Amino acid sequence: MKLFFNAKINTITNGIIEDGYVIIKKDKIFEVGDMGQFSIDTFEGDKYDLNGNYVLPGFIDAHCHLGLSESAIQFEGRDHNETTDPITPHMRAIDAINPDDITFTEALRAGVTTVATGPGSANVIGGTFAIIKTFGKRIDDMIVKDPVAMKCAFGENPKRVYSSKSKTPSTRMAIAAVMRETLSVAKQYLDKKEAAGDDNSKMPSYDAKCEALIPVLKKEIPIKAHAHRADDIFTALRIAKEFDLKITLDHVTEGHLIIDELIKENVPCIVGPSFGHRGKFELKEKSFLTPRALSDAGIDIAITTDSPVTPLDQLPLMAGLAYKEGMNKDKALEAITINPAKILEIDNLYGSIEKDKIADLVILNMHPFEIDSKVQQVIVMGNTVYQK
Amino acid sequence: MILIKNGLIHTMIGDIIENGSILISEGKIVEVSKQIKETDQMEIIDAQGRIVTPGLIDAHSHLGLWESAIGFEGADGNEAVDPITPHMRAIDAINPMDITFEEARNAGITSTATGPGSANIFGGTFIAIKTAKAKRVEELIIKDPVAMKCAFGENPKNCYNNKGKAPITRMAIAAMFRETILKAKEYKSKLEQANGDTSKEPKFDAKLHSLIPVINKEIPLKAHAHRADDMYTALRLAKELDLDITLDHSTEGHLIVDDLMKENAKCIVGPSFGHRSKFELKNLTFETPGILNRAGIKVAITTDAQVTPLHSLPLLAGLACKHGMDENEALKAITINAAEIIGISDRVGSIEKSKDADIVIWDGHPFATDTNVYKTIISGKIEYSN
Repeated sequence: MKLFFNAKINTITNGIIEDGYVIIKKDKIFEVGDMGQFSIDTFEGDKYDLNGNYVLPGFIDAHCHLGLSESAIQFEGRDHNETTDPITPHMRAIDAINPDDITFTEALRAGVTTVATGPGSANVIGGTFAIIKTFGKRIDDMIVKDPVAMKCAFGENPKRVYSSKSKTPSTRMAIAAVMRETLSVAKQYLDKKEAAGDDNSKMPSYDAKCEALIPVLKKEIPIKAHAHRADDIFTALRIAKEFDLKITLDHVTEGHLIIDELIKENVPCIVGPSFGHRGKFELKEKSFLTPRALSDAGIDIAITTDSPVTPLDQLPLMAGLAYKEGMNKDKALEAITINPAKILEIDNLYGSIEKDKIADLVILNMHPFEIDSKVQQVIVMGNTVYQK
Repeated sequence: MILIKNGLIHTMIGDIIENGSILISEGKIVEVSKQIKETDQMEIIDAQGRIVTPGLIDAHSHLGLWESAIGFEGADGNEAVDPITPHMRAIDAINPMDITFEEARNAGITSTATGPGSANIFGGTFIAIKTAKAKRVEELIIKDPVAMKCAFGENPKNCYNNKGKAPITRMAIAAMFRETILKAKEYKSKLEQANGDTSKEPKFDAKLHSLIPVINKEIPLKAHAHRADDMYTALRLAKELDLDITLDHSTEGHLIVDDLMKENAKCIVGPSFGHRSKFELKNLTFETPGILNRAGIKVAITTDAQVTPLHSLPLLAGLACKHGMDENEALKAITINAAEIIGISDRVGSIEKSKDADIVIWDGHPFATDTNVYKTIISGKIEYSN
C-alpha cells in the first residue's frame, strides 16, 4: 500500500478535495479522502508527501494514431492508412503500434496515460482501434481493450485518396454506397454462418473483411466515424441507423452548427483537433467554439488531439484552450478524463479518482491548464513511471 | 393557419381565380376559393392582386451535389471511375447548407428532383426534395428514390475514353446497360426463388440490388439523352427490358415529334440556355419545349442546375414562351407537369386542397425579367419575404 498525502485532489466525479490523500493498493485506488479525517501515523506502508501539489486521474485521448504514425520517420514508420483498398475492416491497430516511438514517452510525461489509437481516415472502413496504456514495451501487455471501435471515414479524405488513383470512392455518394455494400455483404455472411450452424457444407467461405465486421453488426463495438462537415455527420448517422449500429462521431468540426440535432441523436462526440490551420475545405468552420458550444448545450464531449495531427502531450493544453474559449473549466477537464472513458466504455475503471478504479494518476505543481504547469510524477497501474 | 387573400391564383389545374383565397394549415392547403372567412387564428397575407402560383419545380437538377464556389471537395455528383454505379444515392451527397438552396427558394423554386450527373451509364438514384431552410437533408425529402439516372451519348463515351475503359462507343453504352439490367433480373429472380432461405440466396450485390425498384417499375429510368438517336436508344432499351422512362434534356426532341408522341414520351427539356459546347448540343434551341408541347407531349423545363442556375428556372420558361410556347403551358412545365413527370404530383405542383402548401406570391408575372418574389411559402412556412 502506498499513501500520497497533502495534495489537492481533483477526483473529477466527486469534486475537489483541497487537502486530501490517496491510498493505492496494488494497481487500484484503495481510498480517497480528506486529510482532516485521516491519521498518517497509523498508516502502514510507503508514505509520500505531495506538498500541496495537484493530483488528477491520468488523461485520456479517445482518438489518436499513437504508434501507428511514428515520430521523425516517414514511410518506414507510417502504418496507419492502408491506402490501396478503401475497405479494410480486417486491419488491426495493435499490429502497427510501435511502443518505442518517442511520442509514448512524451505523452506519458505529460500525464496522458490511456488512449484509443488506430487507423487513419483514408479508407471508408479503416480497421479496428484499440485502447492502450502509454506505458510499456510490448503492445500485448499495454492493451486495455481490443478491439474498441471500427474506424470509418466520411467526406474529403477517402474522396481525395481514391479519386487520385481513379478508383471508387471519388464522391460522397460512393463513400456511402461502398459502406452500405460492405455492411450488407457482411450481414448476409453472418446470416449464412448462423444458418449453417455446424454444417460445414453450408458455411460461406471465409471472408476476413466480413469476419472483422461481425462485432460491429452485433453492436459489440461502435463505428468510429471520422466526420467534419454537418452533411457528413448526418450521412454517418443515416447509415448507422439503417444498419442498427453503435456509433461515435469523431472530429465533429461543424458540430456547433447542428447542436439541436446532435442532442436529439444522443451519440458520443469526440471533438477536435481544434488547434491549427484550416488545411482543407471541410475544416472551414474549425475553432475552439465547437467544444464550448456542444458542452454548453449539455453534450458530454471528449476533446482529442488526433495525434500526430496535434501532439499527444498537448492534450491538457487543448482542453485549456477550449476553456479559454469559454468552456466550463470542470467540463473541459472532464473532456480529457471521465468523458473519453465513458465514450470508450472503460469508465468502470478509468477517468476519475475513485475507490477500485485503476491507479493512473498525474501529479502537477499547478492546474494543468496553466501554461507553465509541470508534471511532477505519473503513476500507472499503481507504479510511479515518471518522476521529475 | 395562414390565409392568403386577394390573390390572382394560378392553380395550374383549372381556371385562374381572381381575388382568390388560400387557407393553409399544418403545412397543407385546406381550402382554395373566392370566399374564405377570416378568423382570429389566421395569419393574413394580403396578396393585393398579385399573381400566386404553386412553388416552382425543377424536374432535373444536381442541387447540393455540386456545391457553389468550391471545386473537388464539394463535387459529389459523378462517381466517374466506374461506368455502372446504380448503388449511388443522391441523398448521401447533398449539402443542404449550400447557398444554391437559399437562392432557389428566394426565387420561388420550392422543389426539385436532384441527383447524379451523366458521366456514368448508371449514375445512381435521384431524390425529390424541397429547397426549404434545413440543416439535414432528411427534413427535405418528398420521395427517395424517385428515379434511376442513366446516360446516353457523348458524356459516358468521353469520360471513359479518357481512361481507356469501356464504354468508348454508343454500342458499348447500350451493351453495358442491357447486360446490367439482365443480370439484375437474374439476381432478382434468384432472390425470389431463395424465398428467405439464406443458403440459397445469391451473394449480395449492391449494384444489382439497387436496380430492383427499376425492374419492378417502382421508379423510372431518368435517361440523359440529347441527340435523337440517343433518345431512340434509350426508348429501345426501356421497351426491350420493360422499364419506365423519362427523357431528360431531349435536345433534338423537336426533330422527332411524331415518334415521341407515339411513344407517349415524358420529356424534361433543357437546359436550352447557353453555348453549344459539345456536338450533341448542335440543335439546341428554345423552340424545343414549345414544339413538343403543341404536339401534345408532356413537357417539363429544366435548368439542369448547376449547368444553368436553379434560380433562373422561371426565366428559362419565359424564354421558351419568347420562342413560341404558350405562357400557361410554360408555367405548367415548371409546376404541375414537372411534378407529374417525376411522380410527386400527389404532394406538389398545383394549388389544390390537401396538397403541400408550397406557394409563391409574385410582384409581377413570374416570367418578366424585373419580377421579384414577394413571398415563398414551403410546407406552410414562410421561407422568404421581400
